[in-house]
Amino acid sequence: MNSASLLLIVFAIALAGWFLGRRRALAMAGGDARRLHSLSGHHGQAVFLFAAVPALLVMFVWLFVQPIVTEARIGDAIRANGLFRQISPSLVMSDVRRVAHGLDLMVDRGQIDEKGLAALGADGSELRARLGRVGVAVGGNVGGDVLAAARTLRRDNHRGAVGMAVAVVAVALAGLVWSLSRISVEFRARNVSENFVLTLFFGASLVAVLTTIGIVGSLLFETVHFFRIYPARDFFFSFTWSPQFRGGSDLGIWPLLWGTLYVSLVALILAVPVGLMSAIYLSEYASKPLRAVVKPLLEILAGIPTVVYGLFALMTVGPFLRDMIAEPMGLGSSSSSVMTGGLVMGIMLIPFVSSLSDDIIHAVPQGLRDGSFGLGATQSETVRQVILPAALPGIVGAILLAASRAIGETMIVVMGVGAAARMGLNPFEAMTTITVKIVSQLTGDTEFASPETLVAFALAMALFVFTLGLNVVALVVVRKYREQYE
Amino acid sequence: MSDATGLKIAARDVDVFYGDHHAIKDVSVAIADRTVTAFIGPSGCGKSTFLRCLNRMNDTIDVCRVSGTIELDGEDIYDRRVDPVQLRARVGMVFQKPNPFPKSIFDNVAYGPRIHGLTRSRGELDEVVENALRRAALWDEVKDRLSAPGTGLSGGQQQRLCIARAVATAPEVLLMDEPCSALDPIATAQIEELIDELRGNFSVVIVTHSMQQAARVSQRTAFFHLGDLVEFGETGQIFTNPQDPRTESYITGRIG
Amino acid sequence: MTDIAGVRPPRLLTRDARTRRRNAAEFRFRLYGRVAVCIGVAALIVLLASVVANGVGAFRQTFLTLDLSLDAAELDPSGARDVAAMKKVTTIGYGRFLTRQLKAAIAERGIRIEGITDSDIAGMISKAAPAQVRDRVLADPGLIGRTVAFRLLANGRIDGYLKGRVTMKSARLDGNVSPAQLRLSDALRKDGMLAMAFNWGFITSADASELRPEAAGLGVAILGSAYMMIIVLFLALPIGVASSIYLEEFAPTNRWTDLIEVNISNLAAVPSIVFGILGLAIFINFAGLPQSAPIVGGLVLTLMTLPTIIIATRAALKSVPPSIRDAALGVGASKMQAIMHHVVPLAMPGVLTGAIIGLAQALGETAPLLLIGMVAFVRDFPAPPPEGFLDPATALPVQVYNFTQRADPAFAERASGAIIVLMVFLLAMNLVAILLRRRFERRW
Repeated sequence: MNSASLLLIVFAIALAGWFLGRRRALAMAGGDARRLHSLSGHHGQAVFLFAAVPALLVMFVWLFVQPIVTEARIGDAIRANGLFRQISPSLVMSDVRRVAHGLDLMVDRGQIDEKGLAALGADGSELRARLGRVGVAVGGNVGGDVLAAARTLRRDNHRGAVGMAVAVVAVALAGLVWSLSRISVEFRARNVSENFVLTLFFGASLVAVLTTIGIVGSLLFETVHFFRIYPARDFFFSFTWSPQFRGGSDLGIWPLLWGTLYVSLVALILAVPVGLMSAIYLSEYASKPLRAVVKPLLEILAGIPTVVYGLFALMTVGPFLRDMIAEPMGLGSSSSSVMTGGLVMGIMLIPFVSSLSDDIIHAVPQGLRDGSFGLGATQSETVRQVILPAALPGIVGAILLAASRAIGETMIVVMGVGAAARMGLNPFEAMTTITVKIVSQLTGDTEFASPETLVAFALAMALFVFTLGLNVVALVVVRKYREQYE
Repeated sequence: MSDATGLKIAARDVDVFYGDHHAIKDVSVAIADRTVTAFIGPSGCGKSTFLRCLNRMNDTIDVCRVSGTIELDGEDIYDRRVDPVQLRARVGMVFQKPNPFPKSIFDNVAYGPRIHGLTRSRGELDEVVENALRRAALWDEVKDRLSAPGTGLSGGQQQRLCIARAVATAPEVLLMDEPCSALDPIATAQIEELIDELRGNFSVVIVTHSMQQAARVSQRTAFFHLGDLVEFGETGQIFTNPQDPRTESYITGRIG
Repeated sequence: MTDIAGVRPPRLLTRDARTRRRNAAEFRFRLYGRVAVCIGVAALIVLLASVVANGVGAFRQTFLTLDLSLDAAELDPSGARDVAAMKKVTTIGYGRFLTRQLKAAIAERGIRIEGITDSDIAGMISKAAPAQVRDRVLADPGLIGRTVAFRLLANGRIDGYLKGRVTMKSARLDGNVSPAQLRLSDALRKDGMLAMAFNWGFITSADASELRPEAAGLGVAILGSAYMMIIVLFLALPIGVASSIYLEEFAPTNRWTDLIEVNISNLAAVPSIVFGILGLAIFINFAGLPQSAPIVGGLVLTLMTLPTIIIATRAALKSVPPSIRDAALGVGASKMQAIMHHVVPLAMPGVLTGAIIGLAQALGETAPLLLIGMVAFVRDFPAPPPEGFLDPATALPVQVYNFTQRADPAFAERASGAIIVLMVFLLAMNLVAILLRRRFERRW
């Protein structure tokens, strides 16, 4: 039985509970709903919730925990077996998983029955070929241990699925019966079901917290793991980045950090003046119709996915800069460069800076403008000497937020800046950033226990801490600023 | 500059429209030099709107249209060649709500002289700022903390700072739009005293809700009602012997 | 006392030098503003124009119309019209068959090209064409023995020639296409056999390998994105709305609530790639969900969009005036009833707008999906949900990235074309959001 049909069964039970609860409540009141403390609908709702929610919770936890338990058991068996000392257990585990999946497919397609499966020997290439026929590719011939482990895995999975179905249906029915038995004329079904719903709402608000915990936890866990096999000193103080397949990698963060900051700087140099000036122009000078046209246009720029900007960098801006500036001036011949990525990222940030600045400029009270005009200041003097200083903290906050966006941006730099870890000054050279390296170290076939892969988590940790710091400072600054004019 | 009793601003047949709303209807007023002129009338009668016409502050509102002529020393301020910036340097304004800039007290007062380039040296600027603060009767309270932010002062002090700021630009006319409405009685008394003193150098036009205030500080009073200028004359005469029944109703508290 | 009034000329109608200077500064400042706005708008126009110019070609494709006499001896050697037996003839056999037929058709039309070889002729047709014919024949064995008109995909280079990407000059330097082939395609074009047509395959078929860009389509990517959007909608919307209701209406003001709020606003600014790391570490490595599966992508995007939806929903709830709550409480409704019956329905347009904006953001997101393996090459369509949620798939934006990573320049056109498709979806979503706002906007 798969999870989807189990889900349907639980809902059917809960729905039945809803009708039964209503009926029972009405029957107890002798058909006169006015005698009930709560409406009959509330009684139905309470039964529905008690039948559905605990059962779903059990199902969710089961689905999450079962693979961990079974795989841990099999993993222990694998580790206990001396044969696998040379290969990492996780590789063997994935083989086991694949074989088990293939066996499932073979059974599903009727190519073999359970009896035949039990008789199946690990006679090397034959099983591999049969697996291949159902679309499961196995790296080598399937050994006897792997096959045994795969059989265990299948059996455990199967038992788990049955166990889960039984447990979930039992919990649903128990909830149904128990909550039905609670129904009486005085039963405060409305309060009970409302409190239940409120608890669910509270639970929902915890998802965001759990996400943060998940992020910090997984980053921290793998980063510690990384520093156990790679010295932290080299990571933080080395100026070279050269991962090797056969160990002996140099994994210094500085070239990546340099590239990240350089690209972000170029982006901000474009985005801050342009974004700020267009916000000023649109809020202080532009006529209403112009504003009504231009503002949404700039907002479109904000809604364009970053992969589009990346493609723009790759196909249009990069070649243009290379052919028009870099090559004629002898500055380089790469179309991926800090300049390419920086300019395109700057374009992406223009609407970000301008809409934040726009909000902030609007928060400056009209009285200050009047005061300045009343003294005979021109509009630009008012803007430069009264509005901007007044809005400065907010604008600084906006710039910090933009910087944090720039540092964390991935697709534009992956497609526009390049992958060469280098600490140069020439903006027409390809460099690389933290985010590019996170992507390149974690995509493709990677071995999970090597420092070359785990370094991505340390890089992500650095990125997270960096952007979090910027965000917190920016939010505090902006909040302070808002309070000033409240 | 014209003599003490001469004409400073002459407004003739002024109409103001806010979009479709006819806010000021055919108003003519003559404002004398070195006197305090008060505009009184119930809320929404157009007195503030008219005041804002006198230094073209209404230009900042898109939907506002002004017709008729307003002359400052014989020059039409709505002439196409007139730069409102130059005009406002000569016709300063103080607003209802104190609006010090989020800068230091010194920078607040020095703002006008700086943008208009009125001083040549820092010493001169210091002198101008001190004079303006003295005239606004604020100097003794703030002389030790000129670099403190202007927004940190009390309401009455802030309004006097705004007056000092306007005075520092050395205008010929000072427009005041209900300058005391946000202040307590003591601060109001200080400001009123100040207005009386300023009369020696400027012509002051003050919009006020309070008839007592108009009677205390002004020499001439104009009464506005629903966009019309109902009556304009010597303050004493307006309050003791109004010619128009509407004026009488207002000052005796029957409309307003 | 310094009498500074005397310095100033009292005339209004003439402007003094300083005013002129100040006005010039004013003019310059205004000009900077105009320039800034123009830069922004110009960037948008250039961006969109470059995407459209590069990508519009992907929607038209060169096809070779060929009457194939489906010879029974060759395609069904057993003669039994038995599909299982017919499967013995592989695509290689069909390829040879197609080449021969094309050669015959060329000869029949009296087209003679100097220096053309058999492999040149074979290379006119896409490597995906034999499978195309084979699939159709296997689906309908009755076709065998008849002469049927087929519209076959032309090779990507030939397509490039018709679109102007490949020229005689570039063909001389290119090992994959010869000038003779281009001359042949000129002749076939004149004859009407070779022509461009709207390319439905680009939207419906699956991705194709490096060597056959002409057959690559977005079908799997669109389906994968759709699956993920379903997951995001069904998880992020209820969770987001529920937690917003709790935070906005019920949460006591204490440190814990404060912590949740700070946490949400920070989560909204966490780089998207970090969510990819989360997905990789928690959903794939820890919980053992399969790589490249829409369920993992959907979960990651759900967590990523949640803050957006929560922030929008809370703003919508906040904009419902307290008087509505008071009115409901005043007639004896419980707090939950007041909120669920009155506040939430009134806030619904704002909530839905926020949800659509969140979905649009999720639809365009690429970086986290790269980390959870959605960048893999996937040829097979995922099964229908819910099983399909666990099948490998890709997503539209990732497919764009994928196309750009391939050597053949024909894929560049496909990448831009995929972006056009993506942008059409985004535009449609935003239009719905705008319409919702217009239709239900309420002024209190």
